[in-house]
Amino acid sequence: MIPIASDKLRLHTMGPTPTITILVPGPLRPYCAGAAELSISAHTVRAALEDLERSQSALYRNVCDETGTLRRHLNVFVNSDNVRDLDGVDTRLSPGDVVTILPAVSGG
Amino acid sequence: MADRVVLTIGTKKGVFVADAAKPRRSFALRGPFGPGVPVYSTLIDTRGTPRLYASSCNPFFGMKVLRSTDMGKSFKETKSAPAFPKEDGRALVNIWSLEAGGGKKELWCGVEPASLFRSRDGGDSWDMVSAISDHAHARKWQPGNGGLCMHTIIRDGSRVHLGISTGGHYLSEDGGETFRASNQGIGAGFAPDPYPEFGQCVHKIARHDDAPGRLYIQNHGGWADWTGPGGPRPDIGVLRSDDYGHSWRSIAKGLPSDFGFPIVVHPHDADTVYVVPLEPATRSCPGGAPAVWRSENGGDSWSRLARGLPKKESYFTILRDAMDIDRLQVPALYFGTTTGQLWIGREGGEKWDCLFDSLPPIQNVKVAVV
Repeated sequence: MIPIASDKLRLHTMGPTPTITILVPGPLRPYCAGAAELSISAHTVRAALEDLERSQSALYRNVCDETGTLRRHLNVFVNSDNVRDLDGVDTRLSPGDVVTILPAVSGG
Repeated sequence: MADRVVLTIGTKKGVFVADAAKPRRSFALRGPFGPGVPVYSTLIDTRGTPRLYASSCNPFFGMKVLRSTDMGKSFKETKSAPAFPKEDGRALVNIWSLEAGGGKKELWCGVEPASLFRSRDGGDSWDMVSAISDHAHARKWQPGNGGLCMHTIIRDGSRVHLGISTGGHYLSEDGGETFRASNQGIGAGFAPDPYPEFGQCVHKIARHDDAPGRLYIQNHGGWADWTGPGGPRPDIGVLRSDDYGHSWRSIAKGLPSDFGFPIVVHPHDADTVYVVPLEPATRSCPGGAPAVWRSENGGDSWSRLARGLPKKESYFTILRDAMDIDRLQVPALYFGTTTGQLWIGREGGEKWDCLFDSLPPIQNVKVAVV
């Protein structure tokens, strides 16, 4: 039997937590002991950020403000897509995804 | 023995440090320190071994507090910066004031949105002072053009004076356990009631250490020609209190404009006070001719100090924290401009020289003799 959409969603949610890689930009590496990459398990970008809040609190404070909101001038990409063009911090993650945190472009 | 004059210069692109031997003939400049982001507040903490502090307003990664323990040869981030409790719902936008507290390591910090934080360990950890941060008025304050900022913290024993734009002057007389609005006589040009209980756009408050009952305010003036409800509100921009900030009266008569940002008191004479009158529309000195104005009688009369300053075609602004005065026997004034010049006014402002003329836009200048 082919599962209906809600079943698919449930199966996906219930599935094993995907392990993904977070790429840390140079200016933020001092806040995570110099690591350029972090490997964590999370179903969504939000869950990945929550993991950072617990495991890398200094790094997390640079990425999100006190309310938990992603800082305005940072962009987060899942692979090559900005999460703003996906489902924001609710964007789902798959095994092997690469999450990149980057400062927004500035100039002038 | 204190023998160096040290300046901290907060700019749009980090903090600079300049120092000179006491004659102040020439200053050596170091910096910029920090990641090239705006610095709105600095502190030269002379308790014990001198420490320098600077806020660092990083638009990408949030607020930081920088600390130097080697007199400005290097700066490092403190272990944490002020932050609202998660359940508060507010997020830090900027750090506007850093002041020394009691003991050797206590610091006070005023932030945007207007709130007060206190550190007991030299800036490594911070607690919000809820008496003012959660004050019944706090959610009614409105941001001015510079943001909703707590820019002035003045401590005098158990008294704490706070300046908030736009909130007004708040006073605690129990060491910060409680605060109340204390704005009697402070006008507002942008509210139907010309003298509201709170909500004034106070730009800066100053006081002399030896005369704690005497305070001065540079308020948001420039309302002499107001034609809206309530009518004109002349001379509400420069004020004085002689009762520890319980009431205020205008001392703006004789100034070319009652609008301005900084206000500074002479270190050895509580009657001598300095302001920089600005045209309200352009935030530049009248006629494009910069001048500091000094009163030597507590604001009863004013004189213009401009020897050495440009005589025309200068349209910079001197921001609220961009002027200070040192504490030498014959003190010198210092101001920084939004066009990146740092000026010294020798002999109490009688003669002006440009120390540095191409810094980034300057937001904060502090001086100490260490």
